[in-house]
Amino acid sequence: MATITQLENGIVLITLAGELDNHEANQIREEVSTAIFTGKTRAIIWDLYQLGFMDSAGIGLILGRMRDLVPVNGETLILNPSPTMQKLFQFSGLGEVVRICTVEEAIDEIGGVVHEK
Amino acid sequence: MKNEMTLSFLAIEQNEALARMALTCFIAPLDPTLDELSEFKTIVSEAVTNAIIHGYECDGKSMVKVHATIDDRSVKMTVTDEGMGIFDIEQAMEPMFTTKPQMERSGMGFTIMESFSDGIRVDSTLGNGTIVTFEKNFSPVTEVSRMR
Ligand SMILES: Nc1ncnc2c1ncn2[C@@H]1O[C@H](COP(=O)(O)OP(=O)(O)OP(=O)(O)O)[C@@H](O)[C@H]1O
Ligand SMILES: [Mg+2]
Repeated sequence: MATITQLENGIVLITLAGELDNHEANQIREEVSTAIFTGKTRAIIWDLYQLGFMDSAGIGLILGRMRDLVPVNGETLILNPSPTMQKLFQFSGLGEVVRICTVEEAIDEIGGVVHEK
Repeated sequence: MKNEMTLSFLAIEQNEALARMALTCFIAPLDPTLDELSEFKTIVSEAVTNAIIHGYECDGKSMVKVHATIDDRSVKMTVTDEGMGIFDIEQAMEPMFTTKPQMERSGMGFTIMESFSDGIRVDSTLGNGTIVTFEKNFSPVTEVSRMR
């Protein structure tokens, strides 16, 4: 299950819960994409704190949305994955955008970076 | 302990969760650590999803078969489909290689299965299907792992 919130400053917060496999990724992909193309999205925060399971389909979903943000030079942060998910992100070269922190801290980080630009 | 099971199901996406759940229950008597359990679940999910979406292209009428055995603290599992088969196994197992980029596959399935298991073997014939065999060893139950 995905809960999508449009925050100020073009930040989209996606809170995932339950099990993110191929079936679930296909269920939520459209909703997530629509949210990103509505308004001027410049950053996505994925909060995985409540996510119980994820496989490579989750990697595909997140990489796909990072591609959506390439034209606007947008940013992605992935928060609070389990140790097993953390390994999947590392294998896929996404280790650098993983944070163990609160949503507020992530917003701060993104806000900060963007003001500098 | 010794145990053995076989599970067959239609090649539809909904059955990815079924396979994970069944195999999770099957290995529960081994009292795996949280990490061992989630890594095992991930292996099952990757192999079964591949059979459904690549082997059978979600045809909804062919059957995927999962067979598993427990021998002491080692689990052996085979995931079999009689689908399209793999053109070049070595290439298929390379990180980031996928034949379905348009479906947002990342090509990480085999890399994940290799990393999370203690041995993987892939047998495949074009037009005849694919058999993926794994082994995963579970750590001895200690006081520390029981306290998790
Ligand atoms: N059971 C199968 N039958 C036919 N082809 C397969 C099977 N399993 C894997 N393949 C082939 O091997 C390739 C690599 O598989 P792998 O699981 O590593 O990546 P993927 O499934 O494409 O992407 P991901 O698993 O990251 O979502 C697939 O793209 C597919 O071409
Ligand atoms: Mg795969």
